[in-house]
Amino acid sequence: MNKFVSRRELLSLIGKTGATAAVLKASTALGLVPETNVQFPDIPSVNPANRPAVVILGGGISGLTTAYELDKAGYDCVVLEAAPKAGGRCMTVRSGDLIDEVGNPQICEFDDEPHMYFNAGPARIPSTHRNLLRYCRELGVELEIFVNENKEAYVQDDAMFNGKPIKNAAVTTSARGFMAEIMAKNFTGHELDQPLNQYEAESLLSAIRSFGDLSEGDVFKGSTRSGYAHGGFIEHGVQKDVADFSELLKTDFMRMILGQNEGETGPVLFQPVGGMDKIVQGFTNKLEGKIYYDVMVASVNLNNGDGVEVTYEHKGMKYKIQADYCFNCIPSHLMTGIENNFDDNYIEAMRYVRRGEAYKSAFQAKTRFWEKDDIYGGISWTNQKIQQIWYPPHGVFKDKGVILGAYDYGGGMHFTKLSQEERLETAIRQGQKVHPEYRDQVEKGITIAWHRMNHMLGCAARWARNRDGMTADEERLYRTLQQPAGGRHYMIGDQISVHSAWQESAILSAHWAINDMVKRQSGISTMPGQKLS
Amino acid sequence: MKKLISSCLFALFFSITTQHQSVSGQQYDKLNLDSQPLSNKVCATCHGSYGVGNPIVGGPSLAGLEPWYLKRQLEGFRAKHRGNETDYVPGNEMQVSVARLSDNEIEEVVSFIATWKPVEPEQTLSGDANNGSALYASCAACHGINGMGNELLGAPALVGRDDWYMARQLKLFMSGNRGGNPDDVYGQQMRAGVQALGSEQDINDVLAYINTMN
Repeated sequence: MNKFVSRRELLSLIGKTGATAAVLKASTALGLVPETNVQFPDIPSVNPANRPAVVILGGGISGLTTAYELDKAGYDCVVLEAAPKAGGRCMTVRSGDLIDEVGNPQICEFDDEPHMYFNAGPARIPSTHRNLLRYCRELGVELEIFVNENKEAYVQDDAMFNGKPIKNAAVTTSARGFMAEIMAKNFTGHELDQPLNQYEAESLLSAIRSFGDLSEGDVFKGSTRSGYAHGGFIEHGVQKDVADFSELLKTDFMRMILGQNEGETGPVLFQPVGGMDKIVQGFTNKLEGKIYYDVMVASVNLNNGDGVEVTYEHKGMKYKIQADYCFNCIPSHLMTGIENNFDDNYIEAMRYVRRGEAYKSAFQAKTRFWEKDDIYGGISWTNQKIQQIWYPPHGVFKDKGVILGAYDYGGGMHFTKLSQEERLETAIRQGQKVHPEYRDQVEKGITIAWHRMNHMLGCAARWARNRDGMTADEERLYRTLQQPAGGRHYMIGDQISVHSAWQESAILSAHWAINDMVKRQSGISTMPGQKLS
Repeated sequence: MKKLISSCLFALFFSITTQHQSVSGQQYDKLNLDSQPLSNKVCATCHGSYGVGNPIVGGPSLAGLEPWYLKRQLEGFRAKHRGNETDYVPGNEMQVSVARLSDNEIEEVVSFIATWKPVEPEQTLSGDANNGSALYASCAACHGINGMGNELLGAPALVGRDDWYMARQLKLFMSGNRGGNPDDVYGQQMRAGVQALGSEQDINDVLAYINTMN
C-alpha cells in the first residue's frame, strides 16, 4: 500500500522534481552563477629596456587573454599554438573549414554566407560573465542576443505522450499549474512553520496562484500562457488542452525545462555576431606577429627558478626558446606526454584531471523549417542521444540556417565511438522524432567529438569525480596545479577553475595567474640594469 | 616522470639567450630533423612528444619500438584486428587514427618513429618477480631469455615497454580481444601463449619480472 506523504514531505518531493527556486536552491550545476573574487589584473608597466620574456603555450582563450594583458603592460610575449589557428575550443565552423578530428578529418560544406556558421565549442555568453563581456567591448566584438529557452520549441520523450513532441510552453504551464494547485490548496503560513504575518502569507499565496495561473478555487484548468488551440485575435481564443501532468511525471524533463530559465543559461545571453570566434579574432588582431601556428611543444623545463626553457617543432625544424615566465593552456592530459621537469606533486595533479567528452553535430537546413512552427532560436529537448536541437537566433527569414543536431554535453561517448556516417544518420533519425520533416530538410552534416579533436583530445576538464563536488584530495591537487611550478610556470585555462566549460573561467584562470605573477614580482626593480643596493 | 634518456639532441643546441632578451626576437636554434609533418600530427597528440608515451590518454611509448613490429601493428589496427574492444576508448581511437593511412604513409611513420630515442619505460605495477621469473619461462621461447625479442618469430622486445600497457595487452590476449582474428597470425600465437598466465596476479608477477630486465 502506498504511504501517504505529508504536506511538508510533498513540498520536499516537489522540490526534488524542480518546482520552486525557494525549495530548490542550488539544485543543478548549471543553475549556479558563481561569483568571483579574482581582480581584473592591474599590471605595472615594465621598463621597455628590461622587458620580461613570456612564452604562452596554447592560443586558447586563456592564452590569448594572458598575451593580450601582458603585451599591453609591455611584456615581451609569444604564443605558440599547435593548430593552424588560435582559439582552442572557441571554434566556429564555416564553409571550407577543417574539423581536425583525429582519424575523422572533415571539411565543412555549408553555404558560404555570413550567417551559415556553427559554434562548435562555446556558443553562449551569460550576462554575468562580465570579464568576457568586458573583452568583447574592449576588442570591438559586436554582440547580439542569444535565445536559449524558447517556449515554442519542443520537448520530446519516448516515455511521454507516446513519444509525440509537445511544445515547451505546454510542459511549463502544466507543470507549474499542477504544482501551484498542490501548494495553494495546502498552504497556510502556520503549517509551513514560516514566520509569516498575514499580509506576507497572502502575498505568497497570490504569487503561487500567479505562478501556476490558477483558476477560481485554486484549481488549475489550463492556461492560455501555452497559447490558443485557435482564435485569440479576431475570434475568441479557445484554450489548448492541458498537458496531462501524469505524463510529465514519466520523464525527467520537468526538472530540465524549469531549470533552463535561471542561472547561467537564463536570460540574458549573448553571442557574437558572425560566430563565437570573433572573440578570438578580437584578440589576435591585437597580437599580430606574436602568435606562431603549427607549433608542437616538445619540452617544457624549469631553469632552477630562473625562467623556463621550451623546445618545439615547426615544419620539421626544432627550436628552443627561453623565457622568464611560461603560461601554459595545453590540456593537462596532453602536457603529461610532453617532456618536463616538474615535481611529482605537480605531475600527479596534471594526471588527475579527467578529459571532457562533449560532442556536438550540426546540419545545414535547406529551409528554416522551424520558423513555420513559430520557433525562432532556442532549444528543443529530447531524451534521445542527440539530447538537444538548437535553432539559430540569427538569420531570421533567410533561406537557410545552420542548426545544432546533437549536443551530448555530459559524459557520453556514444557518438564519439560511431563512424561519421553513423553519427549523422543517428542524428537524422532521432531528429525526426522532434521534426517529422527533418530527414528531407537537413544536409551537409558535421560532427565535433571533442574527445578526439587534434591537439586537444578532450572537452572541458573535470576535477571532481563525484557529483558532490571536489573531495579534499581533489582540492589539494587543484590548488597544486594552480600554483606556479618553480614560481615561473603557470597552468591556465578553464582546466584551472572549479567551473570549467566556460570562457569566463578560462579568462579568470589567466587573471589569477597574472595577478599571482605580479604579486611575486613586487619588490623586483623595474629600473634597467642590476639592482646594487 | 618520464624523460628522454638521450639528451644528445639537445646537446647540439647552444644557448644564445641572455636575460630579458626579446622572446619574439630570439634567433631560435634550429636543427633540421627531416621530420614528416604527418608523423607529428598523427602520433604526438596521444603518444607524447617523440613518442615518450602518455598513460593519461592511453598512449603507450612508441620510442624504441622495433620498426617491423610497429608496422605490423599499424596494419593490424588498420585492418581492425586491434582496437575493437567496446569498453576501451584509446583502442578505438588508435583504430580510427590509422584507418586512412596508406601503405606508404605507414612506412613513413614507422621510419620516422625509428629516429626517436628510446625512453625509460613506465613501471607502475608491483608483483612477485620471483614467481614472475618462473612464469616467464614460457615467454622466453619467443621473446628471448633477456626479453629482447626475436624478429624471426615475430616477437617484439618486452624490455623498454610500459608495464601498464603490457598488462592491458595481456588481458586483451586472454579475452581474445587481441589475437582473436584468424588473419592475425602472430596475435593468435600470443593468444595461445598467454593462457599460461592464470590470473591478474600472474600478470603482475610476470611484468614485475620483466621490469627487472630493464
